[in-house]
Amino acid sequence: MRRDFTDRDDLVAYLRHEFPSAAAIDPHVSPILGGRRQALGLLQQIQPARYAASRNYLAGAVTHLSPYIRHGVLTLAEVRDFALRRVANPFEALKFITELAWRDYWQRLYTAWGRGIALDREPYKTGHTDYADTLPPDLREARTGLACMDAFSRQLQETGYLHNHARMWMAAYVVHFRRVRWQAGAEWFLQHLLDGDPASNHLSWQWVASTFSHRPYFFNRENLEKYTGGSYCRECPARGHCDFEGTYDELSQRLFPIALDS
Amino acid sequence: MSSANASSPLLWIHEDCISPTSPPFAEYPLAPAVWVWDDSLDWSLKRIVFVYECLLELPVAIERGDPVAVLQSEAERMGAERIVTVQSPSPRWAEIRSALRLPVEVLEPIPFVELRGTVDLKRFSRYWKRAQTPALLPGGTSPS
Repeated sequence: MRRDFTDRDDLVAYLRHEFPSAAAIDPHVSPILGGRRQALGLLQQIQPARYAASRNYLAGAVTHLSPYIRHGVLTLAEVRDFALRRVANPFEALKFITELAWRDYWQRLYTAWGRGIALDREPYKTGHTDYADTLPPDLREARTGLACMDAFSRQLQETGYLHNHARMWMAAYVVHFRRVRWQAGAEWFLQHLLDGDPASNHLSWQWVASTFSHRPYFFNRENLEKYTGGSYCRECPARGHCDFEGTYDELSQRLFPIALDS
Repeated sequence: MSSANASSPLLWIHEDCISPTSPPFAEYPLAPAVWVWDDSLDWSLKRIVFVYECLLELPVAIERGDPVAVLQSEAERMGAERIVTVQSPSPRWAEIRSALRLPVEVLEPIPFVELRGTVDLKRFSRYWKRAQTPALLPGGTSPS
């Protein structure tokens, strides 16, 4: 295949022509550029000490290194070693390095389980068994009427990137609020995320679903509002009456009444 | 030197090792390298663009088709008697590797942490109990 291109537009036009089925899945091209030069530039900007306190916020000091780590453009080891050089004490980088370790952990499980990562590792702890097999079209088409989920859906499909917290909210929405089996959402993510890795992706979805964790992960509107700075809730047509309103206890009663009874 | 080392190998660069610092390039800096787009991939265009941009920074021939057939024919064309690649947990990678008729040298990726013996992976917390100390050290290895 070709290696010489006049610019990015030339490359994209070529790939659109060569991979029509990929363009049919989704025609967008991410603003995130590939390559080690780009990755090393981002690596210079990491703030491991600030990361711990701010990483759950959409505007937090996250690194955007995951697509490069996914493809071995950067190794976990070199990112960790670089982070350690940025702090006076290794424990200042503990949270940052713990998140790197999650990828190492998922990769070890992938080695052990192979395609078994796509199977429920444990029963759901939600009390439900009636999960739909396919993703709701309104989510794929970003017309759920929930400003947050519609924005995340568009961002996923248009850029191939989602903040980790947005991934968790979206996965919880798909599995627990829409009651769709996690595999449908996981496969959708894998088509689009530039860092889409079968192990990290599938096993994180299983963690949210409760098929690889002790309990289901879910969230309420207050949590989402806090970590997004309220940007979605302010403009949401469902403001004040969305699916995520309520305390964690109330939502738990609503979402998992059978599990709570047993 | 064994006969397997007499000729230059063909480096097989796959989706887990797209870096100029990847072990095959470090070990065999002068050997030809190839990437094969596997038509079984179900990716959207943006993922392909991203990976293609990564590949353009590497000294690698970009091919497409059935990976086994392409690797075999490229090795034959270049007179390579073996293929060198990096270990991957991907079952697809294992299928391709086992279907290759040429000898395959598999290099270990650079580890995050080196953990000896069996590691309990039941939950992250159990893994982390073993991994935390070396993970916080440069190189990921506890001093012995």
